[in-house]
Amino acid sequence: MSSLPPLPTTVIGSYSMPAWLERAKNDFLQRKVSRHDLDEMYDAGRKAAIKDQETAGIDIISDGELHRDNMIDYFAERIPGVLIDHGSKRLYYDFYDSVVRSKLATGSLGLLDEVRFLKKFSQRPSKISVSGPHALVKRIRNAFYPSEEAFALDLARVMNFEVRELVREGATHIQIDEPYYSGFPEDLPWAIKAVNALVDGVSAHVTLHICYGNRYGKPSFEGTYRYLFPQVLEAHVHALSLEFARRGEDDLQLFKEFKVPFTLAMGVVDVKTNDVEPAGLIADRIRRALGVIPAERLMINPDCGLVHLPRDVAFNKLSAMAEGTRMVREGLK
Amino acid sequence: MIIQRNYSPSALPKGTDVAELTSRIIGPLTLLIERSGIDQDNALGLRIHLDWIQYKTCFRDPVVVRRAVDQQEQTLPLSEISIDLRQAATPKFEEYLTAAVQSLQGVAPSNGQEPFVLDAFKPWRDSIIWPFNRLFWQQLGDWETYAKRGFEAALPSGGSDANHPDAVMEGVVEFWDLLKDLDARGNLPHDIYAMEIGVGSGARARLWLDRFQAFDNEKGTSYYSRLKFLLGDYSPSTLDTALAAVGPHAPICSVIPIDATNPFKVLSFLRFKILFVHLTNVYDNLTFDEIARRDNQLYIVEVRPYISAAAAEKIHAEFGFDRAQLPGAIKRLLAYGPESVGDHEKGMAFWTRIWDFIRLEERLRAIDEGDDSHLPKGVSRSPLDDVLSEVPHDIRFHLSRGAAESFVNTAALLHPRGYLQVQDIFVTSIKDYAQGFRGPGKLDGSFVTWVNGAFLHAVGARAGYHVNFAPFTHRKGSKTQILYTKRRD
Repeated sequence: MSSLPPLPTTVIGSYSMPAWLERAKNDFLQRKVSRHDLDEMYDAGRKAAIKDQETAGIDIISDGELHRDNMIDYFAERIPGVLIDHGSKRLYYDFYDSVVRSKLATGSLGLLDEVRFLKKFSQRPSKISVSGPHALVKRIRNAFYPSEEAFALDLARVMNFEVRELVREGATHIQIDEPYYSGFPEDLPWAIKAVNALVDGVSAHVTLHICYGNRYGKPSFEGTYRYLFPQVLEAHVHALSLEFARRGEDDLQLFKEFKVPFTLAMGVVDVKTNDVEPAGLIADRIRRALGVIPAERLMINPDCGLVHLPRDVAFNKLSAMAEGTRMVREGLK
Repeated sequence: MIIQRNYSPSALPKGTDVAELTSRIIGPLTLLIERSGIDQDNALGLRIHLDWIQYKTCFRDPVVVRRAVDQQEQTLPLSEISIDLRQAATPKFEEYLTAAVQSLQGVAPSNGQEPFVLDAFKPWRDSIIWPFNRLFWQQLGDWETYAKRGFEAALPSGGSDANHPDAVMEGVVEFWDLLKDLDARGNLPHDIYAMEIGVGSGARARLWLDRFQAFDNEKGTSYYSRLKFLLGDYSPSTLDTALAAVGPHAPICSVIPIDATNPFKVLSFLRFKILFVHLTNVYDNLTFDEIARRDNQLYIVEVRPYISAAAAEKIHAEFGFDRAQLPGAIKRLLAYGPESVGDHEKGMAFWTRIWDFIRLEERLRAIDEGDDSHLPKGVSRSPLDDVLSEVPHDIRFHLSRGAAESFVNTAALLHPRGYLQVQDIFVTSIKDYAQGFRGPGKLDGSFVTWVNGAFLHAVGARAGYHVNFAPFTHRKGSKTQILYTKRRD
């Protein structure tokens, strides 16, 4: 992170999904659009997402993840040994019926293209987000492993090879997405173990993103982050990415209470409303966090992915976030 | 010429000899058409629609003609004669047929019998029936007093299914089960929000609260003390009535003046917090449009209000408004109420007479499939695409825009485990639109339109909800269905 400014800004991963691309994805499922044509559309959309993030002033960008249908299927389709019923969904955003009936094999997941694409079309530091083992276990039916924990640990083993490959290819920031912890706090002991297996030997900046869900732009759960502590302190990650814009900042105190050593990747933009927060409001949120966490351990991002926001809203939110961060940086000098 | 049957014979009243009715009409009609000198293009583009309109009154005459126009309002060869078979036995039916065929050829009725047109063609959503509807709900008490009956008596079933005690109890138990489950997981919010939109007399809310309190006491769970019950309606006087009706529950109730199509606007501070929202007979009175597909071309139905020449003469005789004065009088009535056209009695009489006389002429206006301007606010075109992919080529259906907007803007308030229930009349399969007339039917001062459940199903899917329908089983013969939501994974 040495080349980055203080309070580096980033995204969670996904960028606004254009309606035309949604239609094309659905048409692809109904064999009305070819794979080739869809891939061309993806590339155009990803380039536009990169450009928007750069223009908005984001320091660590993603490719917008527009080629991913959702956070589960993209990985389920790639993990050797996960069986997919390709006729099981009509709308791209739905989940496929997927099942594991035998031990997962080790093999390429084909994620390296994301790193190559980002390096080809941007000079900025970039991030690759990977759905965490807990999230995948909750959506892929297990018909083989004796427990969810065993399934998660084996998923982590398989995915670890790919994540190490991503780093070898040049990825500097890896994010593990775990949106279901908040609904299943009792899973935390094995879920953290699985994250550690996933990032074992990964020499990149690793963020663990834990939100309250963003399916269809709505939370899946409600509550406080207190359930994470102290268990989450055992995670072998550099940063925790948590949502604060929509839920308020009460849980910031948990960082003080538990002397959290991680960087906080703080959600300062509410992704579940089209209202664009003014830069000043975002700056205030950051300043309040600085009362608890030193600047060198604070990163700035939206609460979650921007996939459900209209493109102009997503762009304006990122721009406001960058501007709000700049306002705070001024005060740090 | 194509003859299209828009009803299911099995759904007609017992003893109806529909074949005999049809043959009695088609023969003379064919004769009239052949003798009218219609040219080949127009004959090819002519469709005869045989309907069975179950409502005692509606906005159509027994026989109506619909022309089709393009986006620039140039007449297209497509035209339709729509015949209400239920009224085929009325004495002047042949006159209606003759007038329809003449109108098709551009021949206006003679002897000063031209209908008096009150406004331009507009889509249903912008038509004159909405200000009439608004006035009715704002001055419901005045109408009921004048008509000497409550509005529920005017419903086709003669009453509402809203207040059925068994149905209410079923809902109470379901809600309590949700609270119990959340409680067991430690996720029950301190404030438990529930909401009724479209509260009517408040009787349902009272019954629901009585039953919930009793059930909660019986189970010893003390959820009632944490309950915050919201009564939402756009009419302040209705809210006053409802608040009085809930009696001892008033301290836990709040009245919220809201537009049912956008509860989020007023209640955004409760985003993702409300656990249960219920509506009864609200969707069927929200704005809609009608879309028709003919030969793979989409049309929006436009309507313009008129009254017959005879009706205009009666209005003149009774109230003194001639044709030049009548539009202004109606405008005043709708803007300021019945007293603006005379004393209260005269105003009420004028209002009820005009409502009784008003008919709507229809036309089909071609629209571009890529044109999003007809879509409900906040709804992408994907749900409409979904519906269109299901329908046969020739169909006419409601685009229940108000219901769709209401759904989307209510879902935005729901807690992650919260749910929405809507009791109403739904067309649950788009193909059913070819099986019967779905409104609007005219009621006392208001109207009722079936709600396109298939469209809501598609809207719900895009908003993250499974939308399912179940019949209302607590009253035999009820047409009511209950819309249930369940979060999609």
